[in-house]
Amino acid sequence: MILKGQKRKLDLEDGEASDRSSPTWESQRQFVFSVSLNKYQRGQELPEPSLRRSVLIANTLRQIALEKHGESPPPPDSALMSGEPATPPTNRGQSEDEDWGSAESDFSLSAAISSILTALDSTIDGGPQAAPRTPLRSVENLESAGDAAKPGYVNDVSMEDLFQEVDASLLGRVGYPAEEELICYLPPFSSASSNFREAFELEHLMEILVES
Amino acid sequence: MAGVAGGNDFQWCFSQVKGAIDEDVAEADIISTVEFNYSGDLLATGDKGGRVVIFQHEQESKNRPHLRGEYNVYSTFQSHEPEFDYLKSLEIEEKINKIRWLPQQNAAHFLLSTNDKTIKLWKISERDKRAEGYNLKDEDGRLRDPFRITSLRVPVLMPMDLMVEASPRRIFANAHTYHINSISVNSDHETYLSADDLRINLWHLEITDRSFNIVDIKPANMEELTEVITAAECHPHQCNVFVYSSSKGTIRLCDMRAAALCDRHSKFFEEPEDPSSRSFFSEIISSISDVKFSHSGRYMMTRDYLSVKVWDLNMENRPVETYQVHEYLRSKLCSLYENDCIFDKFECCWNGSDSAIMSGSYNNFFRMFDRNTRRDITLEASRESSKPRATLKPRKVSTGGKRKKDEISVDSLDFNKKILHTAWHPKDNVIAVAATNNLYIFQDKIN
Repeated sequence: MILKGQKRKLDLEDGEASDRSSPTWESQRQFVFSVSLNKYQRGQELPEPSLRRSVLIANTLRQIALEKHGESPPPPDSALMSGEPATPPTNRGQSEDEDWGSAESDFSLSAAISSILTALDSTIDGGPQAAPRTPLRSVENLESAGDAAKPGYVNDVSMEDLFQEVDASLLGRVGYPAEEELICYLPPFSSASSNFREAFELEHLMEILVES
Repeated sequence: MAGVAGGNDFQWCFSQVKGAIDEDVAEADIISTVEFNYSGDLLATGDKGGRVVIFQHEQESKNRPHLRGEYNVYSTFQSHEPEFDYLKSLEIEEKINKIRWLPQQNAAHFLLSTNDKTIKLWKISERDKRAEGYNLKDEDGRLRDPFRITSLRVPVLMPMDLMVEASPRRIFANAHTYHINSISVNSDHETYLSADDLRINLWHLEITDRSFNIVDIKPANMEELTEVITAAECHPHQCNVFVYSSSKGTIRLCDMRAAALCDRHSKFFEEPEDPSSRSFFSEIISSISDVKFSHSGRYMMTRDYLSVKVWDLNMENRPVETYQVHEYLRSKLCSLYENDCIFDKFECCWNGSDSAIMSGSYNNFFRMFDRNTRRDITLEASRESSKPRATLKPRKVSTGGKRKKDEISVDSLDFNKKILHTAWHPKDNVIAVAATNNLYIFQDKIN
């Protein structure tokens, strides 16, 4: 098969286990997650994104995000409201801070996917849609949780605020981004432009991240 | 082949190959659809460059009556041109997604061809006579000086070399926001449906300025979109019935008599998922890429990434038959996801008697399944096995550790050589297989 890094892929596929707590499963999930994200972004960069492809990839991303919570929905708002970190039932073995970051990033991920699909619709249908900013609902929930640790999550998130969140150690790192890094991929909610390319400055973000 | 119980295996031999031989394949020459007409006399192909080429079956020659005739080029025309949608700043591809023939009603032939946005009705007619002896113009068409005309004569029809003309008779445009994936002519021969990712429209062949929207699965909030329409087809006999398949592996059968908007299905076909084979790619590989009714109208066939399923229209909870096309790819799904092959849309087709089905695979392999004997065969469309009337050798992909002689290992398969489009003659055992830019025609030796 015409593939890059073939050996690694074969290792993953040979070890494809049904045991979900195995490290192979985890690394494969991680792999599929990052590949899916790359695919989604590259698909959107094409002049004519295929809706079927985008939907299938988005569903795969959602499925992986859900699996991180042991196939239960993301933690209810009450947990977030009280400011306690979410504790997913699956065996994660990570620090509380990282758990919190993941729960948040899954919300962010859902919101990101949703806003991507909405923006895609506005590209295809032409013209501004009635409620382009409904993803804000998820973000508002996070905001009301009194999240002091991440001051950037307010309605008027600006590019500068986003970059303050970027951990310097993530810059220029080669490899698959962890879920926490996805927070960077949120489109700037402050922009109400209906033009998909203006609103979604992911490419610009990626460039800056990589160039640093 | 119809009615013969078992025993008679097909013996496929090479008949013809159309298309350029060089390794460098021009993108525009890639065949994107193949379709026989109702009699099988005409075979149409559409390509990525927006062209349609129609081949016609020549009569058997008198001195070699045991051989079937060949298909030769009958007509070539540019069906669709690349367009630019200024409103959305998007280029509209000229690639022909589907061709569907209309049943023949007079000397002319009609077909529908579609790209992502626009459907066109083409009339293909023959002209073998020409009028000569006009009064107002001379033989090369130049107008005669009226003062020189001193007498009148009646023009006479003289025979001429056969000329086949294709002219667009109807253009059905501006009805699809999303990409058209299917068109299907209704059994009433007056209407047809066109389906895109989220909507299905019903047209009258005579009316181009409006169509009826009969299915709309677009959610009010695009965030909630998780499923798209992948294929649709009209029932071959019941003009009120059609089906459409989805990216989640479901098929909905709708009855147009029930309501103007067929968002509520009459039947819902879905096979419960096997929990032991669940993976990250379960949904993607369950996405149906093609749906085809049997000629009898009693069954329908669906193609998903790894298999072909035959459904009895009276049983919604599971298919009656499942055929594995290339199950050996199941352990390679991760790589196939990475290189995008998992999104390839394979088509499938029935033979004339509904006793056999065919679908394509990779490495220019295609598979046939006999529904009666349950035997299956893998064949290859390649220049190497293209000697006239040479019987095709069955191919085999080795799945275990030990590869036998003449077998090919999964890792050696060429995933760039995909057979996505195949067609089976409606009456005879003649098949057309599109391999990238080449069209192969194979015949069964036993007539």
